[in-house]
Amino acid sequence: MSSRLHAERRQALVSRLDDGELELRSPTVALWRGAPQPGTVITQQGSLGELEVLGVLSPLVAPAGVSGVVTGEARRGAAAKRPVEYGEVLLRLAPLGALGNAEERAPGEASASTASWVFRAPTSGRFYVRPAPDQPAFVTEGAHIERGHTTCLLEVMKTFNRIQLSGDELPQKVRVLRIVPADGDDVEQGDPLLELGPA
Amino acid sequence: MSPPSLFHRLLVANRGEVAVRIARACDALGVEPVFAYSEADRDAPYLAGRRRVCLGPGRASESYLDPRRLVQAAKNTDCSALHPGWGFLSENAAFASLCEAHGVTFIGPPAHVMHLMGTKSPAKRAMREAGLRVIPGSDGPVTSDEQARAVAEEIGLPLLIKAESGGGGRGMKIVRDLDQLSQALADARREGLAFFGDPSVYIERLLEGGRHIEIQVMADRYGNVCHLGERDCTIQRNHQKLIEESPSPALDPEERERTLALAVQATRQIGYVGAGTLEFLLDTSGDAPVLRFMEMNTRLQVEHSVSEVRSGVDLVTEQIAVAAGRPLSFSQQDVTLSGHVIECRINAEDPADGFRPCPGRIERWVTPRTGDGRIRVDTHVTSGYTIPPHYDSLICKLIASGPTREAATQRMLEALAELEAEGIRTTQPLHQAILSSEDFRANRYDTTRLPTFTLSAS
Repeated sequence: MSSRLHAERRQALVSRLDDGELELRSPTVALWRGAPQPGTVITQQGSLGELEVLGVLSPLVAPAGVSGVVTGEARRGAAAKRPVEYGEVLLRLAPLGALGNAEERAPGEASASTASWVFRAPTSGRFYVRPAPDQPAFVTEGAHIERGHTTCLLEVMKTFNRIQLSGDELPQKVRVLRIVPADGDDVEQGDPLLELGPA
Repeated sequence: MSPPSLFHRLLVANRGEVAVRIARACDALGVEPVFAYSEADRDAPYLAGRRRVCLGPGRASESYLDPRRLVQAAKNTDCSALHPGWGFLSENAAFASLCEAHGVTFIGPPAHVMHLMGTKSPAKRAMREAGLRVIPGSDGPVTSDEQARAVAEEIGLPLLIKAESGGGGRGMKIVRDLDQLSQALADARREGLAFFGDPSVYIERLLEGGRHIEIQVMADRYGNVCHLGERDCTIQRNHQKLIEESPSPALDPEERERTLALAVQATRQIGYVGAGTLEFLLDTSGDAPVLRFMEMNTRLQVEHSVSEVRSGVDLVTEQIAVAAGRPLSFSQQDVTLSGHVIECRINAEDPADGFRPCPGRIERWVTPRTGDGRIRVDTHVTSGYTIPPHYDSLICKLIASGPTREAATQRMLEALAELEAEGIRTTQPLHQAILSSEDFRANRYDTTRLPTFTLSAS
């Protein structure tokens, strides 16, 4: 069998090092083929070779906003398959001055929030906005809800917990300004779930 | 002819206490274990100094539940076998097939038998044909509210809705009122889809007040099947087992012998290979108590250790040897079930606060003395270990044995008193309260009613 299946593209994981270089990491357990040689210029969405998972090949590309030149020494036999694990460092990229990727990032904290109260996760877990995929969300932005209203599901250790709005400082009725996590996000205990304002 | 050689290297496709248990068997056999792990388990103490491969992020769907990553991990590390443990993909027939298709031996029964037993309705049919009694219910999965209503009217309330591909108490809903039926169906379907990837459900009459009794079997490829006695897992909360013991204090010798023999026969009849468990409910609603088959778990179970201690058989080394093509190392005549064995599951849950899961850091961890050979401790945690929120709450199993039930109970209470887990809440005080209760000693409890006890405020 010479024909091979081709699956969708995979993006490498990226971490930024202190010296300004970027590390590109494997997004899954795979065999990595066709690694670019040192000196190769990688542009965003540029090819980093292919990942083979159980005989299926996926093009591996640099994520958007990531570019640079592959550093390190040339390796012989770089075209051979190399077994890689999730998160394993594949390449280092030195930034290309001329391309000058914008370093600016969104400020870490939400700026000038107008929320009067923040309802926080009582435990860490996975956040779900609706009881089932085909059912409406427990709360929507702009809605008025009362204390005791179910706000979300938190999946903790394989158990789905309905999280009710509570808090000594809250009035009986509030308005939902913002639902902070996205559906399916992992949240830590104390992470904001809802930003609330007066009803 | 010399016996088939064992595997050189084996992928441990699981985590925590399960991974530790499998690795112990590998070490005993001289097979090198390779640990597949998620980022959330990167610093787990049992990985230190071991060959390992990172699967993906903490969430199970991108690590321990991703069949392709696991099989590729086995290929990358030259593992010729894979042990799924229990939970995760251990009862996933498609995963077993995927392993075989890529030349990796799946430590478990053949995929078609797994599929037969994993889909609960065909399993019930096969066991009924093999001579076991079953619980009345729908003939196969129910596909609509109308059909469910018709079944409900035929077999009567209360009902239990169960996930067709489920197990471990997940995806089960009780219905006492026909008005609750469609909501309960929707909930069970959602949980079935979330935990097992299959939303189909079936219906059984809910037998209340019974005892949960299960039979451990072990089979090889040559038609040899042995049982290792029964386990009584009646002490449960929300269908989550808390305490298991063997022998069952509720089973009369005649019904025990009859069902053990039938279980062995049924196991052989379906072509089963490996370790398996037939779960029964002791139905006390009639004149004489009757064991009714519920389902077969086609894998090792958490509480397999109870049967190991009572029989002296190492089920995990047997599993690996059988998967390599060796015959069972023992016959039924070699199995002597001695004394009484009790297991307590120590979960990171707060029994004083509605069993709220308690992930977090264990500041100090001290396990009981085991020098007299009457206590076994199965755990993966140590002082300073942080329990991740992504997975099961089980952190330790204590297994106590003695010549009688009273002696085993007493030995367990000593061990529980010596167990220290600072920084988190555990079910330890619950076990102490249950084992000290008059109801436990007098055997007055069932699957719906824990022995009456008082939890001292802490």
